[in-house]
Amino acid sequence: MNAVPEEDPLRVNLHRVYVWELPVRLAHWLLFFSIVILSATGYYIGNPFFGGGLAMARVREVHLYTSIVFALCVLARVYWAFAGNRYARWSDLIPASRDRLRSLWASLRFYAFLGREPDEYVGHNGLAGLTYAVIFCVYFLMIATGLALYQVYAPVGSPLHAFAFLIPLVDGLQMARLIHHIGMWAILVFAVAHVYFAVLSSTVEHVGIIDSILSGFKYMPRGRRRRI
Amino acid sequence: MAQTRLMQDLERQGISRRDFLAFCASMAALLGLPKAAAGAIAQAVETEKRPILVWLEFQDCAGNTESFLRSGHPTVAELLLDTISLNYHETLMVAAGEQAESALEDTVAKHKGEYVALVEGAIPGDIDSGYCTIGGRSALDIAREVCGSAAATVAVGTCATFGGLPAAHPNPTRALSVADAVPGVKNLINMSACPANAENIAALIVYYLTIKRWPPLDQYRRPLFAYGVSIHDGCERRAHFDSGQFVEAWGDEAHRHGYCLYQMGCKGPATSQNCPNVQWNGHTNWPIGCGHPCIGCAEPNFWDVMTPFYQRLPDVEGIDSSKWLDPVGLGLTGVVAAGAVAHGVGEVLRYRRGHRPPADDKTRTQGKEREADASDHEENPK
Ligand code: HEM
Ligand code: SF4
Ligand code: SF4
Repeated sequence: MNAVPEEDPLRVNLHRVYVWELPVRLAHWLLFFSIVILSATGYYIGNPFFGGGLAMARVREVHLYTSIVFALCVLARVYWAFAGNRYARWSDLIPASRDRLRSLWASLRFYAFLGREPDEYVGHNGLAGLTYAVIFCVYFLMIATGLALYQVYAPVGSPLHAFAFLIPLVDGLQMARLIHHIGMWAILVFAVAHVYFAVLSSTVEHVGIIDSILSGFKYMPRGRRRRI
Repeated sequence: MAQTRLMQDLERQGISRRDFLAFCASMAALLGLPKAAAGAIAQAVETEKRPILVWLEFQDCAGNTESFLRSGHPTVAELLLDTISLNYHETLMVAAGEQAESALEDTVAKHKGEYVALVEGAIPGDIDSGYCTIGGRSALDIAREVCGSAAATVAVGTCATFGGLPAAHPNPTRALSVADAVPGVKNLINMSACPANAENIAALIVYYLTIKRWPPLDQYRRPLFAYGVSIHDGCERRAHFDSGQFVEAWGDEAHRHGYCLYQMGCKGPATSQNCPNVQWNGHTNWPIGCGHPCIGCAEPNFWDVMTPFYQRLPDVEGIDSSKWLDPVGLGLTGVVAAGAVAHGVGEVLRYRRGHRPPADDKTRTQGKEREADASDHEENPK
């Protein structure tokens, strides 16, 4: 007999797996909302297309407060890459093992229409994991350049001035500003691709349902081997 | 009260005691000291032993000297020249040639460890090519000797502080700042800006005479009283920035109304100095006050990193990123979105051609793999 006593006939051959733990889901959605807000306000700071009232002052205020949420989420998620379950771990993001490298190659082939079948995975596939590792580097770049820009305005004696050490590393504040601005577009390009692949893996690959990032659960076909 | 020698000297030049006290009060304000400090400053300036200064010029335009002498407010320079004992200054001294050089040698020999060296201009690191040689000696040699035996060294202006114009790309003479040219120099104080503000130099000397210490410094060894706050945070046009009111073109309506110069490439948000308060030429005005953006002259490598002066963001390969970055970014996002749609169409076609994805592929859940089922996934893998 089957181990899953589900009445739903669609689920008979499926197995429920708890993949995304609460911290992962929370970080995901807080990052989502903060990136939306930071991008909208950041775009305005770089390109103030309307004026009046205290437009710029308020927009900068929102940008800076949201940046605190953003930075804390990034840090929390990195912590969870060492403390969380196997799907949240760094080893599922950075393709260091042979399995992950194989998965990276298999997913690349599948998406390029070279492979017939999608890779088998439960958490992220190899390509997705690597992409997230890269985008987290971009997040760190945003935090570093943002702090470098911000420390100029910190009051005399503020510990935030410590971040001035970042300025020579990027060849001056103007370069920090430019990198910060380019980083926004890098994140937005990533976001578009990310949403597409989430839909794809949900509808075509049947390996992740969109609402797993709300509930934490995925329903995997029985018999899928727990390879990665 | 008997008049001090300083007051006698000043009165001969037509500077009254009232002017002198006004100067002391303005120095107290600049240094961020309470008003009552003006008395202590006056007393220190009048009675302290005159510090001995030597002023070295290397790869410079003498702009700092000029700014100092012509500081509209004539009293600052005059007062200071009466307060200090300036033993060597090529532009100001009457002596020339060997006589001048021996004045410098004498000071270094007789007052070793007591005098203050002020340096204007960058120092060429390429000594073999003979750049900037004075009396047959390389600037590097002179700087190392004179600054090396000084009680303190003040780098005056951005060239001495950070290399400035001579060190701008491609830096043909391998120009160095004082800090780089004289490793281990004692009590180095950097007064960046192009030129350094005469009032700030005066305030530095007054601070030293009154408090007998050098003031607290920032990460670039610049005094916090002058470089502690950004131009942007002190700017008189900041209210327009906060309201989102910007000049969009030279001479437009907004420019004539004195709106914020952010969109015209103002580097005030990236620059720290007290220009908005102290201003220039004896409080006559300052760049932003007369409608010109800050070009960031007080910051390291500003010729390289703050240019183009009239653009908000640096160029990328000669292309103005403040104009093109957003359209290109938006375009790229669009291309990726279009790519996603095209890829999606490809996936649908693949599906139609019968390449069923695994979940629908019944064969995959049969056979050997099926046996492995029970151990497949636990509910909570950890
Ligand atoms: C997803 C994350 C972020 C995005 C998309 C973003 C976007 C932007 C953009 C486009 C600008 C305008 C740059 C320009 O052209 O001048 C900006 C400015 C700025 N951002 Fe961010 N940002 C993010 C995160 C952060 C973080 C974490 C900080 C941390 C403190 C930060 C602090 C700043 C500051 C200080 C400015 C300059 C504001 C000013 O000079 O008035 N940002 N941001
Ligand atoms: S003019 Fe420059 S320094 Fe002044 S508020 Fe505008 S951007 Fe800031
Ligand atoms: S406003 Fe800017 S460019 Fe002008 S003197 Fe001050 S720091 Fe230098």
